[in-house]
Amino acid sequence: MNQILLAGITIIVGVAGCLAYFWLSNLLLDRVFPPRGDNAAHNLRRSGRIRPWLFLAPAILFLGIYLVYPVFASLWLAFSRGGEFVGLDNFVWLAGDPKFRESLLNNLLWLVFVPTMATFIGLIAAQLTDAVKWGAIAKSLIFMPMAISFVGAAVIWKFIYEFRAEELAQIGLLNAIVTSLSFAPKAWLTLPVWNTFFLMIIMVWMQAGFAMVLLSAALRGIPDETVEAAILDGASPWQVFWRIQVPQIRGTILVVWTTITIMVLKIFDIVFAITNGQWGTQVLANMMYDWSFRAGDFNRGATIAIVIMIAVLPIMVWNIRNASRERD
Amino acid sequence: MRHPLLSAALILAAGTAQAQDLLFPPGEDPRFDWASFEAFKSDHDLTGQSVTIAGPWTAEDEVTFRRVFEYFEAATGATVNYAGSDSFEQQIVIDTSAGSPPDIAVFPQPGLARGLAAQGKLAPLPADTGDWLRENYAAGDSWVELVTFPGSDGQSHVYGFPYKIDVKSLVFYSPENFAALGYEVPRTMEDLKALTERIAADGGTPWCIGLGAGATTGWPATDWVEDMMLRIHPPEVYDQWVTHQIPFDDPRVVEAIDEFGWFAKTDAFVDGGAGGVGWIDHRDSPTGLFSIPPRCFLMHQASFIGSFFPPGTEFGTDVDFFYMPPYASRPELGSPVLGAGTTFSLTRDTPVAQAFLEFLRTPLAHEVWMAQTGFLTPLKTANLDAYGDPTLRGMGEILVNADTFRFDASDLMPGAIGAAAFWTGMIDYVAGDTAAEAAGMIEQTWESLARTGGVDG
Repeated sequence: MNQILLAGITIIVGVAGCLAYFWLSNLLLDRVFPPRGDNAAHNLRRSGRIRPWLFLAPAILFLGIYLVYPVFASLWLAFSRGGEFVGLDNFVWLAGDPKFRESLLNNLLWLVFVPTMATFIGLIAAQLTDAVKWGAIAKSLIFMPMAISFVGAAVIWKFIYEFRAEELAQIGLLNAIVTSLSFAPKAWLTLPVWNTFFLMIIMVWMQAGFAMVLLSAALRGIPDETVEAAILDGASPWQVFWRIQVPQIRGTILVVWTTITIMVLKIFDIVFAITNGQWGTQVLANMMYDWSFRAGDFNRGATIAIVIMIAVLPIMVWNIRNASRERD
Repeated sequence: MRHPLLSAALILAAGTAQAQDLLFPPGEDPRFDWASFEAFKSDHDLTGQSVTIAGPWTAEDEVTFRRVFEYFEAATGATVNYAGSDSFEQQIVIDTSAGSPPDIAVFPQPGLARGLAAQGKLAPLPADTGDWLRENYAAGDSWVELVTFPGSDGQSHVYGFPYKIDVKSLVFYSPENFAALGYEVPRTMEDLKALTERIAADGGTPWCIGLGAGATTGWPATDWVEDMMLRIHPPEVYDQWVTHQIPFDDPRVVEAIDEFGWFAKTDAFVDGGAGGVGWIDHRDSPTGLFSIPPRCFLMHQASFIGSFFPPGTEFGTDVDFFYMPPYASRPELGSPVLGAGTTFSLTRDTPVAQAFLEFLRTPLAHEVWMAQTGFLTPLKTANLDAYGDPTLRGMGEILVNADTFRFDASDLMPGAIGAAAFWTGMIDYVAGDTAAEAAGMIEQTWESLARTGGVDG
């Protein structure tokens, strides 16, 4: 109860605070440069130039504190140890660490599998749900996992993969199915390589809805004439979809794909909550957490953070370029 | 405590605790050593003075500790201001470097105290503390070693007073099931292994071993390996292992891991098979002892596991425990006990703080907590009858009968090892790696810490 109250107060204070800031700062600006009297025109021009900065200031301030400063702090940490500059020492260690290689390989698996599957399933779902009457219900069902937090999803799926000793009733869905087909139950998440795929399925489950919503909107934006023309020319539904519709929403597909890619590069919560990187499922972000907060070695933690940042950066730039090209 | 005035009033109220509010009225219950209380009382008059103590105990532990130091207040007239914190380990570092430490700090593990002592942030305890511990604590030498660190001057002193100990070398079992099948509590490791084989031959599953623990998965295996280390090698080897004077993949460590593997990696010996050990949650694994028919007969775990037994479980009838036995073939190792515990250190050397540490030497200071909950002591002069329940008493006896005591190694190793690589290594070992491979992986990480001057214990 206390938490709900606190959350409510936070929301009210936060929203009211924002409104008050914009209102008061605007008021102040108008007082300093009143848009009346002798200098009205001059004042208007001046306040017009200041106002955007005034409104942007809180965002810039907070981005500066929470984004820009940490980047530089991390860079320093990654190139130092105990407050002394050590050059590439931390990176040399990282390159030789077997867990880092395992994490890198797993991240690569995540990178290939999750965005591809999520986008593909989202695309198919978008097309199919648009075509049937109960599509709206299907859509909301597919979209719903998006509303669940990563940790929440991890807990749900942990129950699906749960394992109990053979003679016990299996409370895990997967093992319940397996045993009902009279196979032996397995501790799924302890089976190397497969377990990474079991974890990735969770992410696909969560992100397919996001892909579907964006792609569905894009599909609807396609001019009907192109589809009609294709049908008149005798194209099969298959051809219409892959040859006419998909090429026209290529931009959106790319944005969806890269957005999920960035999310996947930072994957942490699912691995942390389910396997904590054991049984060969380690990923970069979880390894960074381990070194920073379990080992208390922020230099090595930051080194891994820099590697993640370097990996995300090009995709992010490409993604933003794509998105702004979409808009034009 | 939202209201500052209110909390100040409560501190005052606590400070003026009179003899009549004490938990056990002095002089009445014969289980307690009242003579030690009276003697302490007549030696100390600190009326109007006060001592501040910071420690990791909150909630129930804080209440029981308060019940104990009220006797100090009643005896001396001094006031004790205790502040418990869930993030004590971070707090004490901040407080000592900011120059505003409490008078006494209660460390949940000696590694942190060692670090602060080296920085000159702790005052050595009175010179006779070592001798006193050697004489009055069971396995006294072990305790003295545990709390002796080099100070900022490079000289070694006793910096801590161990008080409130946990025992980890316990094997839980169901007396009913044992009686029904004619099994007997083993007194040697050879017997324990024979019993394991016999249960398996009878068609039962001997052990419940669960290493699952969410984000800390793997830690229960570290207790196993540590207990085995103490049972096959002298404690000096254990100490060298903890401090990285021998590599983690030293053949002797590998041998201890394989001893654990003898139990955990044999399909017929563990509930859920060797493949299940890594996954099954250690909090779920006790249920196997109580199911009908039992899914297992034995479980190695620390004393806290009692909170995860099914509701209504009666200690002594439904479940009991025995001391993880030593090898009869290695009598020179005696009865080693693995555990953990808190140590009191002087962060400011005041007369009241000194008096408080002297108070901890009285049997009464131990007995009052023994009579409550969650407290064990190796103090030989404390009356075992003072324990509040037979379970605690049983664990207390193990502690008093110990020849060697060693602190949980994984807590003493650097975090990157004891709270990460060691766990992962044990998970990989149970999942199929050889002991040498698993130990080699851990050693590689530890070695990389040492090489780059990382956070080394």
